[in-house]
Amino acid sequence: MLEVKSLSVSYGAVQALSNVSVHVAPGEFVSLIGSNGAGKTTLLNSIMNIIGNSKGSVTFDGKDVTKARTPKIVTKGMAIVPEGRRIFSNMTVRENLEMGGFTRPAGEVKTNLQKMFDLFPVLEERQTQTAGMLSGGEQQMLAIGRALMTSPKLLLMDEPSMGLAPLVIKEVYEKLKVLAAGGLTILLVEQNATMALKYAQRGYVLENGRIILQGKASELLGDNEVKRAYLGKEYKEKWER
Amino acid sequence: MQFLYSGLTSGSIYGLVALGFNIIYNTTGLINFAQGEFVMLGGMLIYTLFCMFEIPFYTALPLTLAGCFIIGVLYERVFIHLARYKTEINLVTLTIAASIIMRDVAMHIWGRDSLRVDDYIPVVNVQMPGGVISSQSILIIAVSLLVAWGLNFFLKKSKYGKAMRACFDDQTAAETCGISVRNVRIMSFAVSSAMAGIAGVIISPITFVTYDDGIMIGLKGFAAAILGGLGNFWAAVAGGILLGIFESFSASVIPSGYKDAMAFFVILLILFIKPDGLFGRKKATRV
Repeated sequence: MLEVKSLSVSYGAVQALSNVSVHVAPGEFVSLIGSNGAGKTTLLNSIMNIIGNSKGSVTFDGKDVTKARTPKIVTKGMAIVPEGRRIFSNMTVRENLEMGGFTRPAGEVKTNLQKMFDLFPVLEERQTQTAGMLSGGEQQMLAIGRALMTSPKLLLMDEPSMGLAPLVIKEVYEKLKVLAAGGLTILLVEQNATMALKYAQRGYVLENGRIILQGKASELLGDNEVKRAYLGKEYKEKWER
Repeated sequence: MQFLYSGLTSGSIYGLVALGFNIIYNTTGLINFAQGEFVMLGGMLIYTLFCMFEIPFYTALPLTLAGCFIIGVLYERVFIHLARYKTEINLVTLTIAASIIMRDVAMHIWGRDSLRVDDYIPVVNVQMPGGVISSQSILIIAVSLLVAWGLNFFLKKSKYGKAMRACFDDQTAAETCGISVRNVRIMSFAVSSAMAGIAGVIISPITFVTYDDGIMIGLKGFAAAILGGLGNFWAAVAGGILLGIFESFSASVIPSGYKDAMAFFVILLILFIKPDGLFGRKKATRV
């Protein structure tokens, strides 16, 4: 469904991504893990063409979208839950969701809205509240809901666990599990390697802008290198410094 | 009381111009210093169509507004979109350059003289407690409030208005919803220009229209926007009306030659004391 081929991005002299190739098949749940500054957000943002100075190619659903503008990519069926959620904090919860459905016909927006309220009952309770007043977890739900309102085939998720309490993180991942079971394809990037790999089928490890490992999520979870770098066994202190 | 009425009239105009500043500021973070020139163009267009070509007013009005709308689109395409380095300071400087160009072009087309736009509504003076108010003044106040209300309705209820607000909040996030920020930017310039056009049309029978009208009205609208607080639409209207009343009352105590200086006195005062404007920026933040 998504095929990223030898993508390179540099910010001035700094090479953020070099020759990154990632593919996601329909129906898959893929996690890409990496530490802070590894280039995870850069990867998602250049897939969506939010940053546009990349080399390489991005193919989605058999079509080349490397140079397509972000709104165009969204109409083709790819959606992103951006890093830090980035909800419209001055608008109400309902308006946020409606904005997600901006490119969709009115009827579809209506049915999608009901689906979102079924999936996240808390959003229905709070639909008239200003989104900036929601708690972090609720904002994450809203950001996911807003992305789903575009009726995507592929959902890109950027650090859903960022700044959330462990219990809330689990709740978010459980929702993703439900969505994946419903047939949604998910590509998730995450610093929280344990969670990300536990729920995914396949995984990649990104380090300093390069893919250094890939494989089944369960195998990666057991991999010594991954354990050392991301799961923080005995080396944790050394690596966090 | 008479001062209050004339203050309300000029204040409503400042409010309209301040709204225009706000729309563009909210979508682009820019102060468009050519806002006053849009007002002048509105007056000039209605003069050309209604007085020179003698097109009936109710045909000339929509044509004028459409003209302003198109000028707004062209303005964005030429001065903002084509700019090679889109830093705020560059773009703001460009808007100043644009205002000078528009002024000079207007001078060449319409000349240096003040042009009088004929009355298009019957002129009557209405007796009010403590003074009189002309029907044109009532029209100005009513239209300004109507435009402010209409804009509010558009932003709150319509799909495209909401998309504009989404862009005010977070442009990247808006793009990920499939909203084209480029189109919203064009639209904000066009709407803002059309609103200034309305202001130009409704004041022209009272103040006449001259090629360099834009400077003063633009700066006063800017003062009103600063007074109310940038980024808040109702504050802009309130700021405009307050500024108008303040200006008109000040003319009763100090020589009226200083009247124009009052607007700038207000800007300075606000920037010293309360830089966010009287009504500040209402923003929902979690504590």
